[in-house]
Amino acid sequence: MKRREFLKTSIVASAAVLGSSTTLSAGETHQPIDSRKVSDMAFPEKRPLITYSDRPPLLESPRSTFARGITENDEFFVRWHLPDIPTHIDPDKYTIKINGLVEKELEISLKELKEDFEQVEVTAVLQCGGNSRSAFTPIAGGIQWGSGAMGCAKWKGVRLRDLLHKAGLKKDAHWIGFNGKDNAAYYETPNFVRELEMEELDDHVIVAYEMNGEDLPYLNGYPLRLVIPGYYSDSWVKMLSNITVTNKYKSLFFMDVAYRVPDNKTESETPEHKFKPTKPITTMNVKSVIGYPENGMKVYHNSHVVVRGVAFDDGTGIKDVYISTDGGKSWDKAELKQENGRYAYTEFRYAFKPTKYGKVTFMAKAVNRLGKEQPFAKDIGWNHGGYKYNGIDEVTVEVV
Amino acid sequence: MNKILLLVMLSVGSLFAQVKGDVEVPYIAYQIKMGKGFDAVQANCLMCHSFGYIINQGPQSRLFWKKKVDKMITHFKAPIPKEDAKIVTDYLFEHYGNGELK
Repeated sequence: MKRREFLKTSIVASAAVLGSSTTLSAGETHQPIDSRKVSDMAFPEKRPLITYSDRPPLLESPRSTFARGITENDEFFVRWHLPDIPTHIDPDKYTIKINGLVEKELEISLKELKEDFEQVEVTAVLQCGGNSRSAFTPIAGGIQWGSGAMGCAKWKGVRLRDLLHKAGLKKDAHWIGFNGKDNAAYYETPNFVRELEMEELDDHVIVAYEMNGEDLPYLNGYPLRLVIPGYYSDSWVKMLSNITVTNKYKSLFFMDVAYRVPDNKTESETPEHKFKPTKPITTMNVKSVIGYPENGMKVYHNSHVVVRGVAFDDGTGIKDVYISTDGGKSWDKAELKQENGRYAYTEFRYAFKPTKYGKVTFMAKAVNRLGKEQPFAKDIGWNHGGYKYNGIDEVTVEVV
Repeated sequence: MNKILLLVMLSVGSLFAQVKGDVEVPYIAYQIKMGKGFDAVQANCLMCHSFGYIINQGPQSRLFWKKKVDKMITHFKAPIPKEDAKIVTDYLFEHYGNGELK
């Protein structure tokens, strides 16, 4: 089945029934699905987004959001793991507890958090590890996201380190567990707890209460969430209520089974021979996505088209973004705008004057400061969880 | 670039929630296929997640669906009776399968 037919058969919005029935033995990778439309129903504090599930809420941002360096709060994607999310939080009563291997257990109110600690800001990309999962064939397990399980916001809060310092870490403190207020339907279901090793935490890790100058939306973790710049969002625990310091790693489903990739050089495997061992997805690879124009749009012959998009990586920093209009044979540098720091979206723009009628495809490729660049979609190895896709993005328009 | 974290002097006003009252996540009536075994799906799956979570996985192999059901029992501790697990797997593969056994 050809890509175009594949797209046609995938149904829009909430009930996406994916079309391809070809099961390739090797596993193959292509452009993620881009034909989905936003739903006609808005979730709390959101405008209508691409909607996969109401319980737990799973919402994707449309491609247009990638034409700007900051993602609006009401367009920011949503991904929860457990169905029971508190629908009422009293900010005057909410506290975060710090316990475990600390000198003094703490229970800090939102007010104390905002008054007793140094307030800091960081602009950082939040991306689901399974973003763009629909790029993998055979279909990798999990929600078949397009490219919109990501966004970039300015987060404000306090340093995790300052909180831990106030509690006083004991000598053998080594792991830190984070738990939020979302709950499963059954008591026996494991909580969505994340554990990070002490050395993974630097001054850029914050406990944030504000997003783009507003309270966090409920669906993005009101009133507090962990922000770990450069890392995939599985560790950015929402509605953060408990921080527990331990000396040894506790086995957890969401750490040991989910969000893992093959622990080999290409982080890939074949559907028949799954690779063991695996490792957690941790930091983000270099990626860029075009926000304008969008697939299927028409542009006028001899007009002035400005291609816009965003690029990012794990905080190493984007060096260049290149655009190709000849299928990747030649590449031209795009103009960059980098004003929000190295964890934020780098905005790129590229002036293009279409001089030929018919279809033209724009490709965008980002390169970071270490020289790491995005591969073509087809050159990305398959993995069973459909994680870490970062293929060169493509948008095809018609010149009329 | 050199100043990643900007220090902010903040004057704290009184705390207030930006939404009025409780938030409510809308219910979406996902178009799920009817057929043999649907009752078991409704009884065992809907407790924890929407049908959207099922149908947006894409068409998958029998083994994939079996493993998903096993995961719900083993890792998520869903109390799904053994006979229901088989019925649910059969239903999922019949309606949301890709024709492959594994």
